[in-house]
Amino acid sequence: MKSKPKFVYVTYIASTPEKVWQALTDPSVTEKYWFGFHVAANGKAGEYMTAHDPTGKEVHRDLILESDPPHRLSYAWHPLYDEFKHERPSRVTIEITPLKDQVRLTVVHDDFDEGSIVLEKISNGWPAVLSSLKTYLETGRSLAAPSWSATAAAEGSHE
Amino acid sequence: MSDTAQSSFVYVTYIRTAPERLWQALIEPEFTQQFWYGTRQDCTWQVGASWRLMLPDGRVADAGEIIEIDPPRRLVLSWRKEFLPELSAEGYSRLTYALEQQGEMVKLTITHQMDCLESKLIDAVSNGWPVILASLKSLLETGEALEATRRWPEGV
Repeated sequence: MKSKPKFVYVTYIASTPEKVWQALTDPSVTEKYWFGFHVAANGKAGEYMTAHDPTGKEVHRDLILESDPPHRLSYAWHPLYDEFKHERPSRVTIEITPLKDQVRLTVVHDDFDEGSIVLEKISNGWPAVLSSLKTYLETGRSLAAPSWSATAAAEGSHE
Repeated sequence: MSDTAQSSFVYVTYIRTAPERLWQALIEPEFTQQFWYGTRQDCTWQVGASWRLMLPDGRVADAGEIIEIDPPRRLVLSWRKEFLPELSAEGYSRLTYALEQQGEMVKLTITHQMDCLESKLIDAVSNGWPVILASLKSLLETGEALEATRRWPEGV
């Protein structure tokens, strides 16, 4: 039995569900840790999440499938970069679970077409973004973009 | 996907620290007791040396030996669960830590592999590693490990 490709990342953050939700959906916060990207994901199901790169270019327009602040957010992930834009959108599901004095954050990225080139990119991308998010919420400072993505982010993910 | 039947868990995290300090945290009990549920490792940290993960009550949780050690870049060890017979029966898995400095942070990659399909051990450690590594990151960046990992859970 061959399982379908799926990316799962779990991390634990000393923060509250409300702060984690805001950090994932409010562009004035994402700008600070998401390597300069403005991600606006505060809409309702049926509306769109948008992302702009540090130069102001729109790089995502993703249909929001489910939004239940501050617990669960799901969107159809559709990057507008040339090499990805012809792929069918994949799916991102974010779950925020409050534990005692911390939050468990789970990101599942799945529903890829066979032979998708997006999976490898996001498998590098999510750990860097979520590591920076955790650092930002716990220390007030974010991390620098990893070396692979510093140019990729600026140039729209071209190799 | 691959020629040999294998189960694996891969986790990447970026930590604002130096490779030497991260290496020290992965090995020394003053650190591991804070982010790894009160446990410490019993090992001389040389190739071929036996390795044991000790619970606070003296039980051995996991055991194996050092396969490769290159401080502060790479550590590979064999790993068998010792106190849960169902998992011990699967035999030895292989754990690799890879540390790569990137400016003021370190990219830490953990790869835990077992040579069988649908390994119960890999399933179990897939649930365990994220909180341990999140707590390690918090400890090195803020000075405080996450509350949940500071002691061994009661009744386990």
